[in-house]
Amino acid sequence: MTTHALLKPSDSSKPAQPLVQARAVSKYFDLGGGFLSGSKPLLRAVEGVDLDIAAGEVLGVVGESGSGKSTLGRLMLRLLEASRGSVSFDGKELGTLAPSEMRRFRRHMQMVFQDPFASLNARMTIGEALIEPIALHRGLKGRQAEEEAAALLERVGLSADHLKRYPRMFSGGQRQRIAIARALASAPRFIVADEPVSALDVSVQAEVINLLQRLQEQLGLTLMFISHDLSVVEVITDRVMVLYLGRVMELAPTESLYSHPAHPYTAALLQAAPGVVTARKHVLKGEIPSPANPPSGCVFRTRCPFAIDDCAQTVPTLREIAPNHLKACIRDDLQL
Amino acid sequence: MPSIEAGVPSETQRPVLSVKDLKTHFHTDAGVIKAVNGVSLSVGEGETLAVVGESGSGKSVTGLTVMRLLARTSARVVGGSIEFIDRGGELIDLLALSDPGMERIRGKDIAMIFQDPMSSLNPVFTVCDQIAEPIRIHQKLDKKQARAKALDLLRKVGISDPESRIDAYPHQLSGGMRQRVMIAVALACDPRLLIADEPTTALDVTIQAQIIDLLRRLQQERRMAMIFVTHDLKLVGEIADRVAVMYASQVVEEGPVAEVLERPRHPYTKALLECIPSGRSADGKRHHLQPIPGTLPNPLAPPPGCRFSPRCGFAAQDCREVEPVLEDAAPGHVTRCLRWKEIAL
Ligand SMILES: Nc1ncnc2c1ncn2[C@@H]1O[C@H](COP(=O)(O)OP(=O)(O)OP(=O)(O)O)[C@@H](O)[C@H]1O
Ligand SMILES: Nc1ncnc2c1ncn2[C@@H]1O[C@H](COP(=O)(O)OP(=O)(O)OP(=O)(O)O)[C@@H](O)[C@H]1O
Ligand code: SF4
Ligand code: SF4
Ligand SMILES: [Mg+2]
Ligand SMILES: [Mg+2]
Repeated sequence: MTTHALLKPSDSSKPAQPLVQARAVSKYFDLGGGFLSGSKPLLRAVEGVDLDIAAGEVLGVVGESGSGKSTLGRLMLRLLEASRGSVSFDGKELGTLAPSEMRRFRRHMQMVFQDPFASLNARMTIGEALIEPIALHRGLKGRQAEEEAAALLERVGLSADHLKRYPRMFSGGQRQRIAIARALASAPRFIVADEPVSALDVSVQAEVINLLQRLQEQLGLTLMFISHDLSVVEVITDRVMVLYLGRVMELAPTESLYSHPAHPYTAALLQAAPGVVTARKHVLKGEIPSPANPPSGCVFRTRCPFAIDDCAQTVPTLREIAPNHLKACIRDDLQL
Repeated sequence: MPSIEAGVPSETQRPVLSVKDLKTHFHTDAGVIKAVNGVSLSVGEGETLAVVGESGSGKSVTGLTVMRLLARTSARVVGGSIEFIDRGGELIDLLALSDPGMERIRGKDIAMIFQDPMSSLNPVFTVCDQIAEPIRIHQKLDKKQARAKALDLLRKVGISDPESRIDAYPHQLSGGMRQRVMIAVALACDPRLLIADEPTTALDVTIQAQIIDLLRRLQQERRMAMIFVTHDLKLVGEIADRVAVMYASQVVEEGPVAEVLERPRHPYTKALLECIPSGRSADGKRHHLQPIPGTLPNPLAPPPGCRFSPRCGFAAQDCREVEPVLEDAAPGHVTRCLRWKEIAL
C-alpha cells in the first residue's frame, strides 16, 4: 500500500461547518432566439437550491434526464458561474475568488465524468495524464511525480506497468479507474462524480462502485454522486437529493428516503426502478416538461397523481418533516 | 381466443422461432471473431424470451443474424439453422431464403427494435414516412389509409396528440418518444415475432417503465413472440417468461425466469446477480458488492475449456480443458457447466 501523505484526509475542516455549501443557487441558460422578438426565453436548469455537504459525506443526486443534476454538480465546483445565489467551499465563497485564487482552489475539487472514453486524451499515456495534475497542483517533478502517479494507479487497482500505455489499450472499467486516479491526483477533498458508472456493464460497475466506496472511506473524501440509477445511489450514499426541473423535491438520509419517501416524485422514481423480483404498482405518466416553460406552483403537478387545485397556485417550500428529512410538497395527507 | 399459459410452449405447440447451434463469425484484419458460437434459442407464440449478457457477449449479433441484417462482406454464418413458422403454419428456413424472400418477411412477419433509435430512424424522413412506408409496402394500402393507420399506431404506443407529432423529424422528439416511434414502426405490420434489442437502455427509469408496460401489453394483445435483449438482469423479471444468459458468444444458462433468477444453475449467472446493487443489509449498513474478478475474454482468442473458467470461483482443472455443453439441470432449464451437480450455488 502506498499512501502518500497528501492523500490523507485533511483534518483542517471543522466538523460543525459544512465543507461545501450552496445558498439559493440558480442557473439560467439563455436560449437565444429572443433577439428579434425582443424577449429572451430563459431555461431554468437549476432554481434556488440550498445545500450543505458535510466533510466526508456522500451525497447522492437523482432525477430524470434534464432535471439539472449535472448543472448543479458543475455549479458546486464553479465550473459554471451561478446566475443567482452562491457556492462556498470550506467557508470561502467561490464566486468572489479571483481567477488566480480559483485556480489554486481547483486542486481541492475535482470531477469524474460518465464517459471514461471521452474524458481521457487519446494521445497522452496514462503516466502523462496523471503527472500533469500532480505537477500542476502539487509541484512534484521528475521521479517524485512518477512515483506518485504509480502510487495513484495502485490505489485504483491498476499497476505501475500501465503508466506507459495509452487509453485505447484499456477496457471501459479500467479507463474509469484511470479517470478516478486522475481526479485524485491533486489530492482533492471534494469530488463530484457525474454518472461515473452509468456506461459500464454490471460486473464492471460493481468494481468501480467498490473502488469509489473504498477510496471515499480511506481518504475521507466528500462526494457528490450523481446518478439516475437509484439502486446504485442507495448503496453508496449517506443522503440523497431528488431534483425535478431544477428544484429540490426531497432531501433526506438515504435509509429514510428509500424506506419512507415523502414526495410523490420520489415515490414514483422508486416504483419505476426495476427490481430483480418486483411487481410494479403504478407507472408515472408523461415526460418531464421543458425547463424553459415550467408549470406554475409545484413544478411536478402536471404528472403528480395527487395534485389538487392548490398545487397550481403555491410553490411548495422545502420543509423539514422529520429530522433531516425535507420535502417540497404541500400535502401531508398522502400514503406513498 | 383461448388463453394459453405463459411459459414453456406446450409440446404440441411448435415454437415460432427456433435457432439451433448458430455460429456467426466476423473476418477482421486482426483475425476471426466468433461473435456467436453455437447459440440455440427458441420462442413460442405469446411468449417472451429475454437474452441477457454483458457488452460484447453476442446478443445483438444473434438478433441481426436472425434478421439477416449483417453485411455479407464481413459476417459469415458458418453453422446452425434458423427456423421460423409463419402464420399459415409453414416452416421457413431463414438461412436458406432468397434475399427477396427475406425482404418479404422482414418488417412484416419478423420485426426488430434496435439498440439506438437515432441511428435506426432515418433523420431525413418524418415519423409518418417511416411508419406508413412499411404499411404501404406490405399491406398494399394507399397513402391516406397508411397515414390513418400510422396515426392509430402512434396512439397505441402512447403518443398523445399524434396529429401534432406525425410530421415531425426524429431529432424533434425526445428519447422516449423516439423509442415509441421505433416500436410503432416495428408493430406496423403486426409481426409474429418481435426482436427488441435493448429498447430502453438509454431511457430514464420512468420512461423505461412506460415502454416495458407498453411492450408487455401489446405483446399480450397480439400474442406476439418476443425476444427481449438486455444487459439488465433486473428488467428480465419484469418482462420475460424465460431467460437465456449469454457469456462470450454462447448461451450458458436458459430457463424459466423465476427459476434462473432465484436458483441459478450456472456460476456466471450467480455472479452477475451478485453484482447488482440491491439495497442495504438489515442493519442499514452499506452493502459491498461482489464484482466478478477479471475481464471478458478476448473475442479473438477465448480461453480453452469453459470460457468462464479464468473468472469462475468454482473452476477445477477439468474446466480449463473440457468445453462444457448445455445439460438439463431441471425441466426446461439448461446450464453449460461441467460442475453444476456438485457445486452449491
Ligand atoms: N449549456 C447549456 N445551454 C443550454 N441549456 C443547457 C445547458 N446545459 C444544460 N442545459 C439544460 O439544462 C437542463 C438541465 O440539464 P442537466 O444536464 O443539468 O440535466 P441532468 O439532470 O444532468 O440530465 P441527464 O440525466 O440527461 O444528464 C436541461 O434542460 C438541459 O437541456
Ligand atoms: N461488424 C462487426 N465486425 C466485427 N466484429 C463485430 C461486428 N459486430 C460485432 N462484432 C463483435 O462481435 C461480438 C459480439 O457483439 P454484439 O454486438 O453482439 O454484442 P452485444 O452482446 O450486443 O453487446 P452490447 O451489450 O454492447 O450491445 C463483439 O466482440 C463485437 O466486437
Ligand atoms: S405539491 Fe401537489 S403537485 Fe406537487 S407533489 Fe405535492 S401533491 Fe403533487
Ligand atoms: S465449467 Fe467449471 S469454470 Fe465453467 S462455470 Fe462450471 S465450474 Fe465454472
Ligand atoms: Mg447529466
Ligand atoms: Mg448489443
